Amino acid sequence: MTKRKQAGWTEVVGPRRTLPAALAVLLVLGACSREEEQGPPVRTAAAEQVHAPGGATANLAPNTPAGEWAMQGRDYANTRYSPLDQIDARNVDSLQVAWTFSDGVLHGHEGQPLVVNNTMYLVTPYPDIAYALDLSKPGHPIKWTFKPNPAPVAIGKACCDVVIRGWAYDDGKLIYNLLDDHVVAVDAGTGKELWRTKMDDVENGGTMTMSPLVVNGKVYVGNSGGEMGVEGWLAALDENTGKELWRAYSVGPDSMVRIGDDFHPFYRWMQGKDLGVSTWPKDAWKHGAGAPWGWVTYDPETNTIFYGTSNTGPWNAAQRPGLNLWTSTVFARDADTGMAKWAYAMTPHNEWDYDAVNENILVTLPIDGKLRKVVVQFNRNGFAYTIDRQTGQVLVAAPFGHENWSTGVDLKTGLPRVVKEKETVPPGKWVRDICPADIGVKDWQPAGFSPRTGLFYVPVQNICMDYLGREVSYIAGTPYWGAEMERHVGPGGQFGALIAWDASTGKRVWSIPEKFLVYSGVLVTGSDLVFYGTVDGWFRAADARTGKVLWSKKLGSGIISPPMTYLGPDGRQYVAVIAGVGGGAMVTASQPDFPPRGGTLYVFSVGGEVERPSPTTPTAPVTSGPQSQNPTTTNKGKH
Amino acid sequence: MLAVAALLALCAGCSRSNSVSEGGAPQAALPPNQLIERLPLGDLAGAAPNLAANHIPNPYAGNAAAITAGKALFSQMNCVSCHAYDATGGMGPDLTDSFWRYGGAPAQVYASIFDGRPKGMPAWGKLLTSEEIWKIVAYLQTLGGTVPASFASRALQGDEPHEVNALNSMKGAQSEDYP
Repeated sequence: MTKRKQAGWTEVVGPRRTLPAALAVLLVLGACSREEEQGPPVRTAAAEQVHAPGGATANLAPNTPAGEWAMQGRDYANTRYSPLDQIDARNVDSLQVAWTFSDGVLHGHEGQPLVVNNTMYLVTPYPDIAYALDLSKPGHPIKWTFKPNPAPVAIGKACCDVVIRGWAYDDGKLIYNLLDDHVVAVDAGTGKELWRTKMDDVENGGTMTMSPLVVNGKVYVGNSGGEMGVEGWLAALDENTGKELWRAYSVGPDSMVRIGDDFHPFYRWMQGKDLGVSTWPKDAWKHGAGAPWGWVTYDPETNTIFYGTSNTGPWNAAQRPGLNLWTSTVFARDADTGMAKWAYAMTPHNEWDYDAVNENILVTLPIDGKLRKVVVQFNRNGFAYTIDRQTGQVLVAAPFGHENWSTGVDLKTGLPRVVKEKETVPPGKWVRDICPADIGVKDWQPAGFSPRTGLFYVPVQNICMDYLGREVSYIAGTPYWGAEMERHVGPGGQFGALIAWDASTGKRVWSIPEKFLVYSGVLVTGSDLVFYGTVDGWFRAADARTGKVLWSKKLGSGIISPPMTYLGPDGRQYVAVIAGVGGGAMVTASQPDFPPRGGTLYVFSVGGEVERPSPTTPTAPVTSGPQSQNPTTTNKGKH
Repeated sequence: MLAVAALLALCAGCSRSNSVSEGGAPQAALPPNQLIERLPLGDLAGAAPNLAANHIPNPYAGNAAAITAGKALFSQMNCVSCHAYDATGGMGPDLTDSFWRYGGAPAQVYASIFDGRPKGMPAWGKLLTSEEIWKIVAYLQTLGGTVPASFASRALQGDEPHEVNALNSMKGAQSEDYP
């Protein structure tokens, strides 16, 4: 059972500013359903079911207490929606830095802080050091530090910086992947290692960078290494022992892919036996990749997990004629057995590195007058897919940014209509101006969904490439890549944007263009604010309904990690984000004004105020027990 | 071993040429690998000049056929994937600039390829012959980022040739290891 401080938070409302500008915003918001003004609302752990007009909503299970944030997407559906609303359109312009924390590591920071039981959990990029910060004490001292000492050899196997994209809290444990292919569980109270499981041999080129998802005692993890000729896999581990329960490969015979009688893909070309072998030249699947390095989501109603697989290996598609299943594919699997329920390959015979690993957000949307339970994925290939959650049927597929490799997705067959001039086979000749570039119209950085507005908030990239396919040989432990590339900005000259997206109709509602990539995830709140960051270090809050930017602050490095929000022990709402550019954002590093690296957490509150004790809470003693006297205790790994 | 087997199997039909015979003859006998293995990676305690690499030139330096073969190997062995097709770096470091973490003199570059390095550079000493590694080094020497053999120990201290010349002329003396 999860031990968490009971919610029942009483909101402490600070003095609110009533400036003319804020009043104007208030007038704009007049039409929206805000019940504010009278005293502080009492929050409870039970999630209120929120619906947007038209009935759009999301299941916010496991209904984490409003003031906490225990898994990367905040809920199993990966909405990144927090019901907190103390910070709103009227006071957001007085957000100030309340406190900061440097983790001492200067690689790309792609994960976000978690807050549970008045403790903040952070994990650095390689060497994957975990910190627990005590939010109940002045200065937020380090409760414990855990140094797992992953193997340095992993550094050279990671394609895109030595990142970690997130960590999970569950049942008193902090669980995350090490770059060197181990999964580790740490006692969240003491920082002691509970178990460590080796998942793969890093010498073969695979690494692990994704955030685990923990549901009902199972830890779901997958590998990275789409450029290293790996076989992609997703595995479930026992949360208490670390023992592997099952592993489902993305390539190979049905027995490896965990495809059985219950597998019912919607489209005919994905039906048949051992397609993970027969859609490849002989044995090519053995280095065909499909590494699920993105996100796992979970539907409690049907006990189903959803995730996507990476690009196909090698990039040079001439070496692997065929559909190359099950790479660049979304899988729905039974959460207990791992057996596949359906699959949908977004970019079959992928010629452009368009991975399908992006988050699959689980929502209910009104479509053609009916409420449908759907999966929404903003794919790297530039199409936003709204897919029936039960059947895998694509209901809506529309470009959500600039792409020119396809004229659209045929909803009858589920196949993209490929533009001949943008095909990268045969190799050996430059193909100019393919949009998007390999990193896509959106990369792994997660979008958010508000059940209040029914809209998705999506970081968008406007980047294209010239591409030259090259023959490549497989040499274990070295990249199995086979392409040369030059990337450039797309039409209009702005690399990024944040957009609001209606996934019922496949239409953009508003857009905030940005000079640099928007490579952070997003946070959307119960007060209809959207927070996001840019690669040049601007942290912004926008009105979720209009797209008007209400507040901006320049941080010490570029922002490539999702913001989050929590309630402090003082009952005050804080917004936290890490600034530490790196990862895939480095493809634009030659852009003028590109920031230096960093590794600093910034925490904001209205007025920058911090830790004013709540009238109902006695002030905590400053020192208590041996842990506070030895705050930098470290625990060496087992090996 | 597994890697070797996989490579041979996969390369049977691909375009890996017999670059050894194409690369031409070396100007001098190949330095024995034992000499390379004795190269210290760090500076020497006691502040003695670390001259070990200064006296091991690349027997294929400037040999056009060897450079062509080295360039082909740089691609065929997937060096291009980490260091980029133009060797300016990606997953791995830039090989065309003057910063060499493990030394940029020919023998030091040879040692890094032969032995591998702990942050992800695999060791190629089992997969490639000495001739092949020296040819890759010969190719890298044409890209402008390497350090002359005679300057190896100075480069370890972060010096550049013009600085040493200036220092020596001020002192009125020639450096022992840099003419």
